[in-house]
Amino acid sequence: MTHHILATSALALSFGLATAAGADVSKTEVLTTYVDIAAAKYDDSLTTAKTLQAAVNNLIDAPSEETLSAARSAWLDARVPYQQSEVYRFGNPIVDDWEGMVNAWPLDEGLIDYVDASYGGPTDANELAALNVIANPSLSIAGKSIDATSITPELISDTLNEADGIETNVARGYHAIEFLLWGQDLNGTGPGAGERPYTDFATGDDCTNGNCDRRADYLRAATDLLVSDLEYMAAQWAPNGAARDTVLTSEGAGLVAILTGMGSLSYGEQAGERMRLGLMLNDPEEEHDCFSDNTHNSHYYDALGIQSAYLGRYVRPDGSVIEGPSLADLTAEVDPALDAEMQSKLEATMSAMSDLKAAADGGFSYDMMLEQGNAEGEALVMGGVNGLIDQTRTIERIVVALGLDQIAFEGSDSLDQPEAVFE
Amino acid sequence: MKHLAVLIALAPLSLPASADTARAVNDLILPSFENFAQGAQVLHQTALADCRSDAVAPAYQAAFDTWMGVSGLRIGPSETGALSIAFWPDDRGFTQRTLARLIDTEDPTGLDPSEYHEMSIAARGLFALDMLLYDPAFNTYGAGDYTCGLVQTITADLDRQADALSTSWAEDYAEVLIGAGAPDNTIYLSSDEAFRALYTQLLSGLEFTADTRLGRPMGTFERPRPKLAEAWRSDRSLGNVLISAQAAQGLAHALAGPELPQTDAAFSQVMLAADRVSDPSFQDLDDPQARLRVEVLQQRVRALYGAIEIEIGAPLGITPGFNSQDGD
Repeated sequence: MTHHILATSALALSFGLATAAGADVSKTEVLTTYVDIAAAKYDDSLTTAKTLQAAVNNLIDAPSEETLSAARSAWLDARVPYQQSEVYRFGNPIVDDWEGMVNAWPLDEGLIDYVDASYGGPTDANELAALNVIANPSLSIAGKSIDATSITPELISDTLNEADGIETNVARGYHAIEFLLWGQDLNGTGPGAGERPYTDFATGDDCTNGNCDRRADYLRAATDLLVSDLEYMAAQWAPNGAARDTVLTSEGAGLVAILTGMGSLSYGEQAGERMRLGLMLNDPEEEHDCFSDNTHNSHYYDALGIQSAYLGRYVRPDGSVIEGPSLADLTAEVDPALDAEMQSKLEATMSAMSDLKAAADGGFSYDMMLEQGNAEGEALVMGGVNGLIDQTRTIERIVVALGLDQIAFEGSDSLDQPEAVFE
Repeated sequence: MKHLAVLIALAPLSLPASADTARAVNDLILPSFENFAQGAQVLHQTALADCRSDAVAPAYQAAFDTWMGVSGLRIGPSETGALSIAFWPDDRGFTQRTLARLIDTEDPTGLDPSEYHEMSIAARGLFALDMLLYDPAFNTYGAGDYTCGLVQTITADLDRQADALSTSWAEDYAEVLIGAGAPDNTIYLSSDEAFRALYTQLLSGLEFTADTRLGRPMGTFERPRPKLAEAWRSDRSLGNVLISAQAAQGLAHALAGPELPQTDAAFSQVMLAADRVSDPSFQDLDDPQARLRVEVLQQRVRALYGAIEIEIGAPLGITPGFNSQDGD
């Protein structure tokens, strides 16, 4: 079912529209800012992924501490604009249908490469959890034998990713690359990230953990796929791109896309799935960037993206700023107090996320916060969760204030075609 | 006159008032939480008397039934509270792994009810018990074994959680909902918001039943996933679907009054479709006929969702808000 949006009574609707009719800011201007920022965020994601691609090629051509470290920092840089783009996911089907190829998580990394004995083997939920493609040129997936002699982008995209229909068989995207650059984080809830040695990509006798050539092939293929996936999405938001045109086609539906993206990312995805659930499981692998210990940044930039969608302002990696008429302006014209409420709640969330980021940057990493009984960690994570849940309530109020209920009704199959329900 | 009758029947629906929210809270939600607290208490007393799986199972089944009456509510104290009572789905096998580790290492926390609230939710609540009481890898323990004490710890923790949840609803969140719009109420600024919050819970509970309780084990036609069914070890998969649909019907009436003919008709269809399902644990989904019967049930649950939208949402001009399942 689709993501639904809270609506309002007919009275509030007509009042809202009457007020907005005399508005200084047009809805089209607001939507134009939204799509321009999307184009910039995906463009920056692509550019930083290309830098990562070059760094990965350097690592493979000349494995060393330096080239591995450079590839890792290129990966970390690439996450900054991408996480800020996640607010475009849930409101835009073109993004949502594509996202699983790029940022799928969590993953059963034993599908890809060697893992520690503590990882275990195949599970009830996933027979392929320890398949280890890098060590096995010939594979069996759901009773079918697969020739994996050469590891290509096609093998990864057509055969390995979501193999056997299991979502945790993540063979591509940021987190697959992250695993190949860092390896498993075996420090539990103690300090430290994954410690894969650069010699895992070395040739000849220097190769550690076996199959270094195949590991290098996998890393190169997965990085190439990430770049081509981001090229596709950047094109969708460029002038005449399909995602851009879809948003600009209908003012109401476009505003619903902005608010749906903000609300669904805030509540169900970020506060629920990514933060609170991991905290309550006390599992150090239940963090978004678990190999690199970069989770605090992923959460921070996700939340920043939500704020950016409302304020219509985005700071690019080169320091330049894209800004324009925003949902904040539109809301302020209808109900200035509601706009103030939204801005202050977004700021409260960013403040909680900044606390979490500062602690992690200072050495109290996200997986340490998840430790059983760790009260300081729990307070930091729940600070972010509570902010995100609280801001969702105000996002719902804005849907009401802008009179977007009729659009939400149009998105409902049963209300659109009541007879279809009883077929 | 016929028209007038229709108007009268619809009249309470045209203006959702705090009265409707109060009725739902006082007449349905709070008694259902008390019922759950009672079920959890009996379960714990049963486990204390005899911890072995055969002895505990009937009280476990009864307690799970009482939980299903409130499992669809995920706001207020249940926002976080529900997760440590019923951690499911478990995509990465956390429950199995965590319980096995506790038992292998004889972790002292597993025998300490006062500390057990610190434990991972994967080893707490109903689904941890489901594994210990019904999985052959766990359920053959004797009265003196570590697992016996672990079962008693988990039931004690569940009993405490059920009490805490019921108390928080009764003493705190009931007033937040009923007193919506009061100057000091920062959660719900109007009675409309509180009403909508409950309406959202009603529909998102049904959405979860259709998409997850039924959709997960169905998988695809080529690759059904019976082992991904909810509580399949204890044969509860179908029963949970039915009780959750029943709870939704009850909440619909509590919110909107007795006259919901389409909703009631749709609920009857859910019952009929459930009657035809051959295995209550959905373990025969490899059989295309069996799969079809579960698919029909899923359609009937979605039709119930649609009927509630038509009879409650449309007349009031409301659609559901964001819910906690909105992520991936």
